[in-house]
Amino acid sequence: MEVLKQFILSFLSTIGFAVLFSIPKDSIGRSGFVGATGWVVYFLTYNLLQGKVAGTFCAALSVGILGEILARYYKKPATVYIIPGIVPLVPGAGMYYTMLALVEKDFLMAANTGTETLFIAASISVGIIISTTLSRSIKRVRQKD
Amino acid sequence: MEQNEKNDRKEVKKLLVLAILAGKIMLKNGAETYRVEDTIERICKSRKNIKYVDAFVTPTGIFLSLEYNEEVMTYLQRIKTISIDLNKINLVNEFSRKFVNSSMSIDEALIELKKIDKIHTYKLLSKVCFGSMACAFFSLLFGGTFLDFISSYLVSFTVLFTLNKIDKLDLTFFLRNFVGALLASLLSFLAVKLGIGENMDKIIIGSIMSLVPGVSITNAIRDTMSGDYVSGLSRGMEAIFSALAIAFGVGILLNFYLRGVI
Repeated sequence: MEVLKQFILSFLSTIGFAVLFSIPKDSIGRSGFVGATGWVVYFLTYNLLQGKVAGTFCAALSVGILGEILARYYKKPATVYIIPGIVPLVPGAGMYYTMLALVEKDFLMAANTGTETLFIAASISVGIIISTTLSRSIKRVRQKD
Repeated sequence: MEQNEKNDRKEVKKLLVLAILAGKIMLKNGAETYRVEDTIERICKSRKNIKYVDAFVTPTGIFLSLEYNEEVMTYLQRIKTISIDLNKINLVNEFSRKFVNSSMSIDEALIELKKIDKIHTYKLLSKVCFGSMACAFFSLLFGGTFLDFISSYLVSFTVLFTLNKIDKLDLTFFLRNFVGALLASLLSFLAVKLGIGENMDKIIIGSIMSLVPGVSITNAIRDTMSGDYVSGLSRGMEAIFSALAIAFGVGILLNFYLRGVI
C-alpha cells in the first residue's frame, strides 16, 4: 500500500518536472512512469539496505536503463526520459540538512550529512554512467554484425 | 561551367549555415555535446560531395569546418544563453533524420528550422503550474502533511513566476539560483509563520527541487562518458556552482532564522 502511494506521488511529481523542462507532449506519461519506477526502486532498496547511497544508485541505474530502452523504442533522445526521472533523486534534502547543521555550528553533523550528500550525487552519476555505457556498447556490437 | 560551380559553392555555404543553426538550437536548449556534433556532421555529409566534416562543440560554442572542392570553410558560433527545452532537441533530432533521408531543399529546411526555434511547447502559466505541482508532491513524498503540500505549491508557484520575470534581466545562473533559493526559504518561513504550513524543512526541500541542477548533472556525466572531457568538466562545474548557490540562499535565511533576527 505504501509502495503504491509512493508510486502515485512520485509519478505526479515527475510529470511536473517533465513539463518544467518542456519535454515532448506525447512523452509526458512515459517519463512519469520512468521517474516513478526510479523512486519506488529507491524506496524499496533504501528500506531493504538501510542506505541512501545504495538506494540512489539502484534508482539512478533503473532510470537510466528504462530511459535508454524507451528512447530506442520511441526514437527520442534518451535525455527526454532520463532528466525528469533523475531530478527527484538529486539530494536537495541532503543539501538543506547540511546547510542547517553548518548554520547551527554542528560541524560533526555537517560533515556527516555533507559526505552523504556528496556520495548520493556520486552514486547518481555512477548509475547513469553504467546505463549509458551499456546502451552504447550494445549499439556498437549491433553495428558490427 | 563556372556559374555552376559558383552556385554549388553558395549551396555548400547555405548548408554550413543550416548545420550551425541546427546545432545552435540543440545546444541552447540543453542537449549533450556529442548529440550536437553527431547531428551537425550528419547534416553536412548528406549533401553534395563533401569529403571532410569535423565539428567541435563545447557548451559555450560550436566550431565547424568542412572541405568542399579543395577549399576549407569554417564557421564559429558562440552560445551564450542556455534555457532548457527538451522538446526542441527532439524536434531538431526528427528534423535532421528527415533532412538526411529526403531531398529537401536547403532553403525549405532553413525555414523549418527557424519555425522550430520559435515554438513554445508549453505556455508560461502551465509550466509554472506543473513545476510547482512537482515541488508540492515532492514535499509530500518527503513526509510533509497536506498543509505543507498547499504551502509548498504556493511558495514554488511564486518562486518560478518571479524567476521567469528575473530571467529577462539576463542574470548569471549563479545569481538566479541564489535568488530563487533565498525567496523559496523566505516564503516558506512566512508560510509557517502565517500558519499555512507546518514543517518548514519539508516546504523548503520541496520548493528548492525546481532549482536543482538535474540537467547539468545528467549532461555532464553523459558528455564525460562519450569522451568530451572539456564539456563534461564545464557542465560539472555549472552543476556544482548551482548547488552552492542554492545552499547559500537557504543558508542565509536559516542563519537569520536561528539567530532570531526575523
